[in-house]
Amino acid sequence: MTNETSTPGTIDPKDLQQLAEVATLITAARDAMSDDIVSRVAGALSEGMTLLDRLTRNEGLMSLLQVLDRQESQYFLVALSKAIHASSQEISAAPPAVGGIGCTLRVMRDPGILEGLRLMSLIGKHLSDSLREQHRRGG
Amino acid sequence: MRILVVGGGTGGTIVANNLARRLAGEIRSGRVKIRMLSASDKHMYQPGLLYVAFGQMMPDELYRDQASLLESSIEFHVDPVEKFLLDQNKVVTRSGKTYEYDILVMATGSRIVPESIPGLAEGAETFYSEAGAVKLFKKLREFEGGRIALVVGVPHKCPIAPVEAIFSLHDYLKARGIRDKCTIKYHYPIGRLHTIKEVATWVKPHFERMGIEHETLFNIKEVDVENKVVRSEEGTESPYDLLIAIPPHRGMAVVEQNGMGEGGWIPTDRFRLTMNGHDNVYVVGDTTNLPVSKTGSAAHFEAEVISDNIASMIKIGAPVRDYDGKVYCFIETGHDSATYAMFNYQNPPDLKEPNKPMHWFKTSYNKMYWTSVRGLL
Repeated sequence: MTNETSTPGTIDPKDLQQLAEVATLITAARDAMSDDIVSRVAGALSEGMTLLDRLTRNEGLMSLLQVLDRQESQYFLVALSKAIHASSQEISAAPPAVGGIGCTLRVMRDPGILEGLRLMSLIGKHLSDSLREQHRRGG
Repeated sequence: MRILVVGGGTGGTIVANNLARRLAGEIRSGRVKIRMLSASDKHMYQPGLLYVAFGQMMPDELYRDQASLLESSIEFHVDPVEKFLLDQNKVVTRSGKTYEYDILVMATGSRIVPESIPGLAEGAETFYSEAGAVKLFKKLREFEGGRIALVVGVPHKCPIAPVEAIFSLHDYLKARGIRDKCTIKYHYPIGRLHTIKEVATWVKPHFERMGIEHETLFNIKEVDVENKVVRSEEGTESPYDLLIAIPPHRGMAVVEQNGMGEGGWIPTDRFRLTMNGHDNVYVVGDTTNLPVSKTGSAAHFEAEVISDNIASMIKIGAPVRDYDGKVYCFIETGHDSATYAMFNYQNPPDLKEPNKPMHWFKTSYNKMYWTSVRGLL
Protein backbone atom coordinates (compact mmCIF):
# COMPACT_ATOMS: atom_id res chain seq x y z
CA MET A 1 0.00 0.00 0.00
CA THR A 2 1.96 3.06 -1.26
CA ASN A 3 0.97 6.36 -2.80
CA GLU A 4 2.46 8.19 -5.76
CA THR A 5 4.69 10.51 -3.73
CA SER A 6 6.48 7.78 -1.74
CA THR A 7 9.87 6.60 -2.92
CA PRO A 8 10.79 2.90 -3.02
CA GLY A 9 12.15 1.63 0.32
CA THR A 10 10.43 4.26 2.46
CA ILE A 11 7.31 3.75 4.56
CA ASP A 12 4.35 5.98 3.95
CA PRO A 13 3.20 7.72 7.19
CA LYS A 14 -0.37 6.72 6.30
CA ASP A 15 0.67 3.04 6.30
CA LEU A 16 2.30 3.50 9.69
CA GLN A 17 -0.85 5.19 10.94
CA GLN A 18 -2.93 2.23 9.76
CA LEU A 19 -0.51 -0.21 11.37
CA ALA A 20 -0.80 1.74 14.62
CA GLU A 21 -4.60 1.52 14.35
CA VAL A 22 -4.46 -2.25 13.90
CA ALA A 23 -2.08 -2.51 16.85
CA THR A 24 -4.47 -0.41 18.96
CA LEU A 25 -7.33 -2.69 17.96
CA ILE A 26 -5.34 -5.79 19.00
CA THR A 27 -4.34 -4.16 22.29
CA ALA A 28 -7.95 -3.17 22.97
CA ALA A 29 -9.16 -6.72 22.24
CA ARG A 30 -6.41 -8.14 24.44
CA ASP A 31 -7.29 -5.80 27.32
CA ALA A 32 -10.97 -6.69 26.98
CA MET A 33 -10.24 -10.41 27.20
CA SER A 34 -10.14 -12.26 30.49
CA ASP A 35 -9.18 -15.79 31.50
CA ASP A 36 -12.89 -16.57 31.93
CA ILE A 37 -13.72 -15.49 28.38
CA VAL A 38 -10.80 -17.48 26.94
CA SER A 39 -11.82 -20.47 29.03
CA ARG A 40 -15.48 -20.33 27.92
CA VAL A 41 -14.62 -19.90 24.23
CA ALA A 42 -12.12 -22.77 24.41
CA GLY A 43 -14.68 -24.94 26.22
CA ALA A 44 -17.34 -24.25 23.58
CA LEU A 45 -14.87 -24.92 20.75
CA SER A 46 -13.74 -28.12 22.41
CA GLU A 47 -17.28 -29.43 22.84
CA GLY A 48 -18.17 -28.25 19.32
CA MET A 49 -15.23 -30.16 17.86
CA THR A 50 -16.20 -33.29 19.77
CA LEU A 51 -19.81 -33.04 18.61
CA LEU A 52 -18.78 -32.44 14.99
CA ASP A 53 -16.38 -35.37 15.14
CA ARG A 54 -19.07 -37.69 16.49
CA LEU A 55 -21.62 -36.52 13.92
CA THR A 56 -19.29 -36.82 10.93
CA ARG A 57 -18.21 -40.34 11.94
CA ASN A 58 -21.78 -41.52 12.54
CA GLU A 59 -22.56 -43.80 9.59
CA GLY A 60 -26.31 -43.62 10.09
CA LEU A 61 -26.44 -39.84 10.27
CA MET A 62 -24.16 -39.47 7.25
CA SER A 63 -26.39 -41.82 5.28
CA LEU A 64 -29.46 -39.83 6.35
CA LEU A 65 -27.74 -36.59 5.27
CA GLN A 66 -26.92 -38.05 1.85
CA VAL A 67 -30.53 -39.10 1.34
CA LEU A 68 -31.86 -35.76 2.58
CA ASP A 69 -29.56 -34.02 0.08
CA ARG A 70 -31.34 -35.56 -2.93
CA GLN A 71 -33.91 -33.47 -4.83
CA GLU A 72 -36.81 -35.86 -4.19
CA SER A 73 -35.99 -35.71 -0.48
CA GLN A 74 -36.22 -31.93 -0.64
CA TYR A 75 -39.86 -32.35 -1.73
CA PHE A 76 -40.35 -34.71 1.16
CA LEU A 77 -38.78 -32.26 3.67
CA VAL A 78 -40.83 -29.33 2.34
CA ALA A 79 -43.95 -31.50 2.50
CA LEU A 80 -43.06 -32.59 6.02
CA SER A 81 -42.61 -29.04 7.24
CA LYS A 82 -45.93 -28.02 5.67
CA ALA A 83 -47.59 -31.09 7.17
CA ILE A 84 -46.27 -30.25 10.64
CA HIS A 85 -47.65 -26.72 10.33
CA ALA A 86 -51.04 -27.80 8.91
CA SER A 87 -51.55 -30.67 11.34
CA SER A 88 -50.70 -28.55 14.38
CA GLN A 89 -53.34 -26.02 13.23
CA GLU A 90 -55.94 -28.72 12.49
CA ILE A 91 -55.43 -30.56 15.74
CA SER A 92 -55.91 -27.39 17.77
CA ALA A 93 -59.26 -26.76 16.04
CA ALA A 94 -60.52 -30.37 16.08
CA PRO A 95 -62.76 -31.63 18.93
CA PRO A 96 -61.27 -34.37 21.11
CA ALA A 97 -61.73 -37.88 19.64
CA VAL A 98 -64.56 -39.82 21.27
CA GLY A 99 -63.03 -43.21 20.44
CA GLY A 100 -64.74 -46.43 19.37
CA ILE A 101 -65.36 -48.18 16.05
CA GLY A 102 -67.71 -45.46 14.79
CA CYS A 103 -65.13 -42.78 15.33
CA THR A 104 -62.48 -44.87 13.55
CA LEU A 105 -64.80 -45.43 10.58
CA ARG A 106 -65.53 -41.70 10.33
CA VAL A 107 -61.79 -40.96 10.22
CA MET A 108 -61.27 -43.70 7.65
CA ARG A 109 -63.77 -42.11 5.30
CA ASP A 110 -61.29 -39.29 4.70
CA PRO A 111 -59.21 -40.17 1.57
CA GLY A 112 -56.34 -37.97 2.84
CA ILE A 113 -56.05 -40.04 6.01
CA LEU A 114 -55.93 -43.22 3.92
CA GLU A 115 -53.21 -41.70 1.72
CA GLY A 116 -51.27 -40.86 4.87
CA LEU A 117 -51.64 -44.37 6.23
CA ARG A 118 -50.39 -45.76 2.92
CA LEU A 119 -47.31 -43.49 3.08
CA MET A 120 -46.56 -44.51 6.67
CA SER A 121 -47.00 -48.16 5.75
CA LEU A 122 -44.59 -47.79 2.82
CA ILE A 123 -41.95 -46.17 5.05
CA GLY A 124 -42.48 -48.95 7.58
CA LYS A 125 -42.14 -51.62 4.89
CA HIS A 126 -38.84 -50.23 3.52
CA LEU A 127 -37.50 -49.63 7.02
CA SER A 128 -38.25 -53.19 8.01
CA ASP A 129 -36.68 -54.62 4.80
CA SER A 130 -33.52 -52.53 5.23
CA LEU A 131 -33.15 -53.37 8.93
CA ARG A 132 -33.48 -57.11 8.22
CA GLU A 133 -30.91 -56.88 5.40
CA GLN A 134 -28.38 -54.93 7.56
CA HIS A 135 -28.67 -57.40 10.43
CA ARG A 136 -28.21 -60.26 7.94
CA ARG A 137 -25.03 -58.62 6.55
CA GLY A 138 -23.74 -57.64 10.01
CA GLY A 139 -23.98 -53.84 9.55
CA MET B 1 -7.14 -59.68 18.22
CA ARG B 2 -7.89 -58.74 21.85
CA ILE B 3 -6.38 -55.44 23.02
CA LEU B 4 -6.51 -54.77 26.74
CA VAL B 5 -5.74 -51.30 28.12
CA VAL B 6 -5.14 -51.25 31.87
CA GLY B 7 -5.59 -47.74 33.27
CA GLY B 8 -7.84 -44.89 32.20
CA GLY B 9 -5.60 -41.85 32.63
CA THR B 10 -4.32 -39.62 29.84
CA GLY B 11 -2.10 -42.24 28.17
CA GLY B 12 -4.51 -45.18 28.37
CA THR B 13 -7.50 -43.15 27.18
CA ILE B 14 -5.66 -41.72 24.16
CA VAL B 15 -4.28 -45.14 23.19
CA ALA B 16 -7.74 -46.74 23.42
CA ASN B 17 -9.50 -43.95 21.49
CA ASN B 18 -6.83 -43.75 18.80
CA LEU B 19 -6.99 -47.50 18.31
CA ALA B 20 -10.79 -47.41 18.12
CA ARG B 21 -10.51 -44.81 15.34
CA ARG B 22 -7.67 -46.46 13.44
CA LEU B 23 -9.17 -49.95 13.68
CA ALA B 24 -12.85 -49.01 13.22
CA GLY B 25 -13.27 -51.41 10.28
CA GLU B 26 -11.60 -54.31 12.09
CA ILE B 27 -13.74 -53.69 15.20
CA ARG B 28 -16.95 -53.62 13.11
CA SER B 29 -16.06 -56.89 11.45
CA GLY B 30 -15.31 -58.49 14.83
CA ARG B 31 -11.59 -59.06 14.13
CA VAL B 32 -10.47 -56.65 16.89
CA LYS B 33 -11.85 -56.00 20.35
CA ILE B 34 -10.67 -53.21 22.66
CA ARG B 35 -11.24 -53.40 26.41
CA MET B 36 -10.27 -50.96 29.13
CA LEU B 37 -10.01 -51.79 32.82
CA SER B 38 -9.71 -48.88 35.22
CA ALA B 39 -9.78 -48.27 38.95
CA SER B 40 -12.22 -45.37 38.61
CA ASP B 41 -15.26 -44.32 36.60
CA LYS B 42 -13.97 -40.74 36.70
CA HIS B 43 -11.17 -39.11 34.71
CA MET B 44 -9.28 -36.25 36.33
CA TYR B 45 -7.43 -33.42 34.59
CA GLN B 46 -4.51 -33.43 37.01
CA PRO B 47 -2.71 -30.24 35.85
CA GLY B 48 -5.81 -28.35 37.01
CA LEU B 49 -4.93 -29.02 40.65
CA LEU B 50 -2.42 -26.15 40.61
CA TYR B 51 -5.26 -23.80 39.65
CA VAL B 52 -7.47 -25.21 42.44
CA ALA B 53 -4.71 -24.40 44.95
CA PHE B 54 -4.86 -20.73 43.93
CA GLY B 55 -8.64 -20.46 43.62
CA GLN B 56 -8.60 -20.25 39.82
CA MET B 57 -10.53 -23.47 39.19
CA MET B 58 -13.10 -25.47 41.16
CA PRO B 59 -12.43 -29.17 41.77
CA ASP B 60 -15.53 -30.32 39.87
CA GLU B 61 -14.15 -28.68 36.71
CA LEU B 62 -11.37 -31.26 36.70
CA TYR B 63 -13.56 -34.34 36.27
CA ARG B 64 -15.45 -36.11 33.49
CA ASP B 65 -17.06 -39.53 33.41
CA GLN B 66 -14.47 -41.86 31.90
CA ALA B 67 -17.11 -43.63 29.78
CA SER B 68 -18.08 -40.30 28.18
CA LEU B 69 -14.50 -39.86 26.92
CA LEU B 70 -14.25 -43.24 25.25
CA GLU B 71 -15.28 -44.27 21.74
CA SER B 72 -18.49 -46.29 21.90
CA SER B 73 -16.74 -49.37 20.47
CA ILE B 74 -14.48 -49.67 23.56
CA GLU B 75 -15.68 -52.03 26.28
CA PHE B 76 -15.06 -50.27 29.61
CA HIS B 77 -15.08 -51.82 33.09
CA VAL B 78 -14.32 -50.28 36.47
CA ASP B 79 -12.46 -53.25 37.84
CA PRO B 80 -8.78 -52.72 38.71
CA VAL B 81 -6.28 -55.43 37.83
CA GLU B 82 -4.65 -57.23 40.75
CA LYS B 83 -2.64 -59.94 38.99
CA PHE B 84 -0.70 -59.77 35.74
CA LEU B 85 0.01 -63.24 34.30
CA LEU B 86 2.24 -62.05 31.47
CA ASP B 87 3.42 -65.53 30.46
CA GLN B 88 -0.22 -66.60 29.98
CA ASN B 89 -1.45 -63.30 28.43
CA LYS B 90 -4.03 -62.91 31.18
CA VAL B 91 -4.93 -60.51 33.98
CA VAL B 92 -7.09 -61.10 37.03
CA THR B 93 -9.15 -58.23 38.43
CA ARG B 94 -10.37 -57.28 41.90
CA SER B 95 -13.81 -58.75 41.12
CA GLY B 96 -12.13 -62.10 40.39
CA LYS B 97 -12.67 -61.99 36.62
CA THR B 98 -9.94 -63.10 34.23
CA TYR B 99 -9.34 -61.20 31.01
CA GLU B 100 -7.22 -62.66 28.23
CA TYR B 101 -5.42 -60.49 25.71
CA ASP B 102 -3.17 -60.60 22.67
CA ILE B 103 -1.84 -57.08 23.25
CA LEU B 104 -1.63 -55.41 26.66
CA VAL B 105 -1.22 -51.66 27.21
CA MET B 106 0.04 -50.75 30.68
CA ALA B 107 -1.19 -47.27 31.63
CA THR B 108 -1.47 -47.58 35.39
CA GLY B 109 0.17 -44.22 36.21
CA SER B 110 1.82 -43.14 39.44
CA ARG B 111 0.88 -42.14 42.98
CA ILE B 112 2.17 -39.76 45.63
CA VAL B 113 3.90 -41.27 48.68
CA PRO B 114 4.31 -38.41 51.19
CA GLU B 115 4.33 -41.03 53.96
CA SER B 116 7.78 -42.16 52.77
CA ILE B 117 9.32 -39.07 54.40
CA PRO B 118 8.81 -38.67 58.17
CA GLY B 119 6.49 -35.76 59.00
CA LEU B 120 5.81 -34.77 55.37
CA ALA B 121 2.18 -35.94 55.25
CA GLU B 122 1.38 -34.24 58.57
CA GLY B 123 3.45 -31.08 58.22
CA ALA B 124 3.28 -30.09 54.55
CA GLU B 125 0.57 -28.89 52.20
CA THR B 126 0.48 -30.18 48.65
CA PHE B 127 -1.51 -29.56 45.47
CA TYR B 128 -0.93 -33.08 44.13
CA SER B 129 -4.35 -34.31 45.26
CA GLU B 130 -7.82 -32.75 45.16
CA ALA B 131 -8.17 -32.62 48.95
CA GLY B 132 -4.62 -31.28 49.28
CA ALA B 133 -5.16 -28.53 46.69
CA VAL B 134 -8.37 -27.34 48.40
CA LYS B 135 -6.65 -27.40 51.81
CA LEU B 136 -3.67 -25.46 50.46
CA PHE B 137 -6.01 -22.83 48.99
CA LYS B 138 -7.72 -22.38 52.37
CA LYS B 139 -4.33 -22.11 54.12
CA LEU B 140 -3.18 -19.49 51.62
CA ARG B 141 -6.42 -17.52 52.12
CA GLU B 142 -5.77 -17.43 55.86
CA PHE B 143 -2.05 -16.72 55.56
CA GLU B 144 -1.19 -13.26 56.79
CA GLY B 145 2.60 -13.34 56.40
CA GLY B 146 5.67 -15.31 57.36
CA ARG B 147 8.06 -17.87 55.89
CA ILE B 148 6.84 -20.08 53.08
CA ALA B 149 9.09 -23.00 52.14
CA LEU B 150 8.63 -25.18 49.06
CA VAL B 151 10.38 -28.54 49.07
CA VAL B 152 10.60 -31.12 46.30
CA GLY B 153 10.56 -34.91 46.69
CA VAL B 154 12.03 -37.25 44.06
CA PRO B 155 11.00 -38.66 41.73
CA HIS B 156 7.93 -36.58 41.05
CA LYS B 157 5.37 -36.07 38.32
CA CYS B 158 5.28 -32.83 36.28
CA PRO B 159 8.80 -31.48 36.80
CA ILE B 160 7.75 -27.93 35.96
CA ALA B 161 5.17 -27.80 38.77
CA PRO B 162 7.57 -26.60 41.55
CA VAL B 163 8.62 -23.62 39.42
CA GLU B 164 5.03 -22.84 38.41
CA ALA B 165 3.97 -23.00 42.07
CA ILE B 166 6.57 -20.37 42.97
CA PHE B 167 5.40 -18.01 40.19
CA SER B 168 1.75 -18.49 41.21
CA LEU B 169 2.56 -18.03 44.89
CA HIS B 170 4.37 -14.75 44.21
CA ASP B 171 1.45 -13.38 42.14
CA TYR B 172 -1.16 -14.61 44.62
CA LEU B 173 0.51 -13.00 47.63
CA LYS B 174 1.08 -9.80 45.63
CA ALA B 175 -2.60 -9.68 44.66
CA ARG B 176 -3.54 -10.06 48.35
CA GLY B 177 -1.17 -7.22 49.21
CA ILE B 178 0.94 -9.30 51.61
CA ARG B 179 3.93 -10.20 49.43
CA ASP B 180 6.19 -7.85 51.43
CA LYS B 181 5.19 -9.65 54.65
CA CYS B 182 6.27 -13.04 53.28
CA THR B 183 9.51 -14.75 52.37
CA ILE B 184 9.42 -17.58 49.83
CA LYS B 185 12.21 -20.14 49.86
CA TYR B 186 12.58 -22.75 47.09
CA HIS B 187 14.47 -25.98 47.88
CA TYR B 188 15.61 -28.32 45.11
CA PRO B 189 17.24 -31.75 45.40
CA ILE B 190 20.04 -31.37 42.83
CA GLY B 191 22.83 -28.81 42.42
CA ARG B 192 20.83 -26.32 40.31
CA LEU B 193 17.34 -24.83 40.31
CA HIS B 194 15.79 -27.40 37.99
CA THR B 195 16.48 -30.87 36.64
CA ILE B 196 16.40 -29.51 33.07
CA LYS B 197 19.53 -27.36 32.74
CA GLU B 198 17.92 -24.86 30.35
CA VAL B 199 14.96 -24.35 32.71
CA ALA B 200 17.37 -23.84 35.64
CA THR B 201 19.28 -21.15 33.72
CA TRP B 202 16.09 -19.48 32.52
CA VAL B 203 14.35 -19.39 35.90
CA LYS B 204 17.23 -17.96 37.94
CA PRO B 205 16.84 -14.29 36.92
CA HIS B 206 13.05 -14.62 37.35
CA PHE B 207 13.55 -15.85 40.93
CA GLU B 208 15.94 -12.95 41.58
CA ARG B 209 13.40 -10.46 40.18
CA MET B 210 10.69 -11.86 42.47
CA GLY B 211 12.96 -12.03 45.52
CA ILE B 212 12.75 -15.83 45.86
CA GLU B 213 15.36 -17.36 48.17
CA HIS B 214 16.70 -20.72 47.09
CA GLU B 215 18.72 -23.65 48.34
CA THR B 216 19.89 -26.42 46.02
CA LEU B 217 21.10 -29.90 47.02
CA PHE B 218 18.23 -30.12 49.50
CA ASN B 219 16.84 -33.69 49.66
CA ILE B 220 14.05 -33.84 52.21
CA LYS B 221 14.98 -36.03 55.18
CA GLU B 222 12.22 -35.17 57.61
CA VAL B 223 9.71 -32.56 58.67
CA ASP B 224 9.75 -31.58 62.32
CA VAL B 225 6.09 -30.65 62.59
CA GLU B 226 6.28 -29.47 66.19
CA ASN B 227 9.16 -27.03 65.64
CA LYS B 228 8.13 -26.20 62.06
CA VAL B 229 11.46 -27.07 60.54
CA VAL B 230 12.24 -29.13 57.43
CA ARG B 231 15.60 -30.90 57.37
CA SER B 232 17.66 -32.19 54.46
CA GLU B 233 19.75 -35.32 53.95
CA GLU B 234 22.64 -32.91 53.38
CA GLY B 235 22.42 -31.67 56.98
CA THR B 236 20.78 -28.27 56.49
CA GLU B 237 17.40 -27.12 57.76
CA SER B 238 14.81 -24.49 56.94
CA PRO B 239 12.24 -23.07 59.33
CA TYR B 240 8.77 -22.37 57.93
CA ASP B 241 5.34 -21.05 58.76
CA LEU B 242 3.78 -22.68 55.71
CA LEU B 243 5.41 -25.69 54.09
CA ILE B 244 4.43 -26.68 50.55
CA ALA B 245 5.72 -30.02 49.29
CA ILE B 246 5.92 -31.69 45.92
CA PRO B 247 5.66 -35.22 47.34
CA PRO B 248 7.81 -38.07 46.04
CA HIS B 249 6.04 -40.48 43.66
CA ARG B 250 6.07 -44.20 42.98
CA GLY B 251 4.47 -46.30 40.29
CA MET B 252 1.29 -48.15 41.23
CA ALA B 253 1.61 -50.78 43.95
CA VAL B 254 0.15 -53.48 41.68
CA VAL B 255 3.15 -53.13 39.34
CA GLU B 256 5.57 -53.72 42.23
CA GLN B 257 3.47 -56.52 43.71
CA ASN B 258 3.58 -58.36 40.38
CA GLY B 259 7.35 -57.90 40.11
CA MET B 260 7.06 -55.90 36.90
CA GLY B 261 9.34 -53.03 37.85
CA GLU B 262 11.25 -51.55 40.74
CA GLY B 263 9.46 -48.63 42.34
CA GLY B 264 6.43 -49.41 40.18
CA TRP B 265 8.20 -48.16 37.02
CA ILE B 266 8.21 -50.73 34.20
CA PRO B 267 11.48 -51.18 32.25
CA THR B 268 10.52 -49.91 28.79
CA ASP B 269 12.18 -49.77 25.37
CA ARG B 270 12.71 -46.02 24.87
CA PHE B 271 11.82 -46.06 21.16
CA ARG B 272 9.26 -48.86 20.73
CA LEU B 273 7.65 -48.33 24.16
CA THR B 274 7.31 -52.07 24.75
CA MET B 275 8.07 -53.69 28.09
CA ASN B 276 11.56 -55.17 28.07
CA GLY B 277 11.26 -58.90 27.30
CA HIS B 278 7.56 -58.68 26.34
CA ASP B 279 6.92 -57.50 22.79
CA ASN B 280 3.13 -57.66 23.16
CA VAL B 281 3.11 -55.42 26.26
CA TYR B 282 3.22 -51.65 25.64
CA VAL B 283 3.88 -49.13 28.41
CA VAL B 284 2.64 -45.54 28.36
CA GLY B 285 2.90 -42.43 30.54
CA ASP B 286 4.11 -42.33 34.12
CA THR B 287 4.30 -46.14 34.24
CA THR B 288 7.48 -46.25 32.10
CA ASN B 289 10.99 -45.98 33.51
CA LEU B 290 12.01 -43.73 30.59
CA PRO B 291 14.33 -40.77 31.14
CA VAL B 292 11.60 -38.30 30.16
CA SER B 293 9.35 -36.12 32.30
CA LYS B 294 6.34 -37.78 33.84
CA THR B 295 3.78 -35.45 32.29
CA GLY B 296 0.49 -35.67 30.45
CA SER B 297 2.18 -34.44 27.28
CA ALA B 298 4.79 -37.23 27.36
CA ALA B 299 1.93 -39.72 27.86
CA HIS B 300 0.09 -38.11 24.92
CA PHE B 301 3.04 -38.33 22.50
CA GLU B 302 3.85 -41.88 23.63
CA ALA B 303 0.19 -42.86 23.17
CA GLU B 304 0.27 -41.62 19.57
CA VAL B 305 3.27 -43.84 18.82
CA ILE B 306 1.82 -46.88 20.59
CA SER B 307 -1.56 -46.66 18.88
CA ASP B 308 0.03 -46.11 15.45
CA ASN B 309 2.27 -49.13 15.98
CA ILE B 310 -0.42 -51.47 17.31
CA ALA B 311 -2.71 -50.48 14.42
CA SER B 312 0.06 -50.98 11.84
CA MET B 313 1.05 -54.32 13.37
CA ILE B 314 -2.54 -55.47 12.88
CA LYS B 315 -2.86 -54.00 9.38
CA ILE B 316 0.58 -54.66 7.83
CA GLY B 317 2.43 -56.73 10.42
CA ALA B 318 5.11 -54.14 11.29
CA PRO B 319 5.47 -51.06 13.52
CA VAL B 320 5.79 -47.72 11.74
CA ARG B 321 7.06 -45.24 14.33
CA ASP B 322 9.60 -44.71 17.09
CA TYR B 323 9.10 -42.44 20.11
CA ASP B 324 11.60 -39.59 19.98
CA GLY B 325 11.22 -38.56 23.63
CA LYS B 326 9.03 -35.55 22.83
CA VAL B 327 7.67 -33.57 25.79
CA TYR B 328 5.82 -30.25 25.64
CA CYS B 329 5.30 -28.44 28.94
CA PHE B 330 3.40 -25.22 29.44
CA ILE B 331 5.04 -23.10 32.13
CA GLU B 332 2.67 -20.70 33.88
CA THR B 333 4.84 -17.80 35.01
CA GLY B 334 2.23 -16.27 37.27
CA HIS B 335 -1.42 -15.48 36.84
CA ASP B 336 -1.23 -13.69 33.50
CA SER B 337 1.79 -14.94 31.57
CA ALA B 338 3.30 -18.22 30.47
CA THR B 339 5.89 -19.81 28.26
CA TYR B 340 6.67 -23.40 27.27
CA ALA B 341 9.44 -25.96 27.11
CA MET B 342 9.57 -28.46 24.26
CA PHE B 343 12.31 -31.07 24.08
CA ASN B 344 13.09 -34.66 23.12
CA TYR B 345 15.89 -37.22 23.51
CA GLN B 346 18.13 -35.21 21.16
CA ASN B 347 17.18 -31.57 21.59
CA PRO B 348 17.06 -29.55 24.81
CA PRO B 349 14.32 -26.93 25.32
CA ASP B 350 14.72 -23.38 24.09
CA LEU B 351 12.63 -21.26 26.43
CA LYS B 352 11.01 -18.09 25.13
CA GLU B 353 10.12 -14.97 27.10
CA PRO B 354 6.78 -15.42 28.91
CA ASN B 355 3.78 -13.58 27.47
CA LYS B 356 0.02 -13.31 27.85
CA PRO B 357 -1.07 -15.16 24.66
CA MET B 358 0.83 -18.24 25.92
CA HIS B 359 -1.08 -17.98 29.20
CA TRP B 360 -4.32 -17.92 27.21
CA PHE B 361 -3.10 -20.88 25.19
CA LYS B 362 -2.69 -22.78 28.46
CA THR B 363 -6.06 -21.49 29.73
CA SER B 364 -7.62 -22.78 26.51
CA TYR B 365 -5.80 -26.09 26.78
CA ASN B 366 -7.34 -26.61 30.23
CA LYS B 367 -10.64 -26.96 28.34
CA MET B 368 -9.29 -28.51 25.14
CA TYR B 369 -7.76 -31.35 27.18
CA TRP B 370 -11.03 -33.27 26.89
CA THR B 371 -10.83 -33.05 23.10
CA SER B 372 -7.24 -34.20 23.34
CA VAL B 373 -7.95 -37.38 25.34
CA ARG B 374 -10.76 -38.23 22.95
CA GLY B 375 -8.04 -38.50 20.32
CA LEU B 376 -8.99 -35.38 18.37
CA LEU B 377 -6.03 -33.10 19.09
